[in-house]
Amino acid sequence: MIALIGLVAGVLLGLLLQPTVPLWLQPYLPIAIVAALDAMFGGLRARLEGIFDEKVFVVSFLSNTIIAALIVFLGDQLGVGSQLSTGVVVVLGIRIFSNVAAIRRKLFKA
Amino acid sequence: MSLLADLFAGKALDPGYAEAAERRAAAAESAAGSTADGAAPGASRPGPLARHSFFVAVLVVVGLLLAVAVEEVRRSEPVAHKERARLVGEIRGRTSETDALQRRLEDLRLETERLRAVALTRSDAGRRTRGELARVAAAAAATSASGGALVVTLDDAPGGADGDDRPPTGRVYDQDLQILVNGLWAAGATAIGINGQRLTSTTAIRSAGEAILVDYRPLSPPYEVTALGDRDRLRAAFGDSSANRHLRALEDQFGIRADVHTKRGARLPAAGALRLRYAREETSG
Repeated sequence: MIALIGLVAGVLLGLLLQPTVPLWLQPYLPIAIVAALDAMFGGLRARLEGIFDEKVFVVSFLSNTIIAALIVFLGDQLGVGSQLSTGVVVVLGIRIFSNVAAIRRKLFKA
Repeated sequence: MSLLADLFAGKALDPGYAEAAERRAAAAESAAGSTADGAAPGASRPGPLARHSFFVAVLVVVGLLLAVAVEEVRRSEPVAHKERARLVGEIRGRTSETDALQRRLEDLRLETERLRAVALTRSDAGRRTRGELARVAAAAAATSASGGALVVTLDDAPGGADGDDRPPTGRVYDQDLQILVNGLWAAGATAIGINGQRLTSTTAIRSAGEAILVDYRPLSPPYEVTALGDRDRLRAAFGDSSANRHLRALEDQFGIRADVHTKRGARLPAAGALRLRYAREETSG
């Protein structure tokens, strides 16, 4: 419940404030969102399995986003930014799918 | 490939939660083993309030990220649209500008012709020069020409265009057009144009990739070669020429369609920009 309230508060905050993303940060925004989604679904799965832990969630979110952004930043410096972004999205996408599949199995028993 | 191996094994890709749960269970077990009560496990960790606030802060950040991304996409859409509209507008503007310049060029050319004609009629020498100029200009395709004409239409063989992977054998090549044009010159044509493109004595007919270029401008089939001159003499002379035999051979062997007919009032435009090769502007004084 408190998680949902926090999420909705964040969305409302973003829609109300409409912060402008600085240009140098724009390539990292989609990557950060995919990393955040990965952490979210991982947490949701753990919650349904009854082993959720707030500390693990916070740490996994921070490390996911920071490492994903770091990889893309490093790729940009090396000139392979788009390829590394693709790699990050593929890996996180696989994780998101497997987590969502586990959630689906828990919820619908199918 | 531990990611894929774990994926196929159906294991959790992030074992962090499972490990934390195990650790908690172990701590609870040791706490139950000792004499301490329920307050003991919480003592080594930060207070529940601090952990809750971290958790909520992370979720607020996630929500913020989502909202900002949506906002960003919505904001950049009209920008891209505007950019495109601006480019299209610029292209239209430049095209009409070029058209206007082209028209002005035509006007100025006509004006120059007229002034030159007026200036040359003032003296005998001038009149002679004018006659010579007219002859030379006609030979150099610098003026438009009209009159009776022999029209030869060449087209690629039917089929093989789409849904057919065989190499197209029935295509008209630059060589065929060269032979045809040379045959028409030899038959006494005074001016020749291909698809409305006037040929001069130095115009190149060549191919680049699949397209035939005349004066470096690509043409598309069917190729209509118009040769001005005495229609009947042209027809008779061309009928006996080796160029005509070449066309018949193409028709028989490759199915290339070649059609020869005469036309009463054909008109050919002047050739594009003619460059002066040897003439120099007179230096004044």
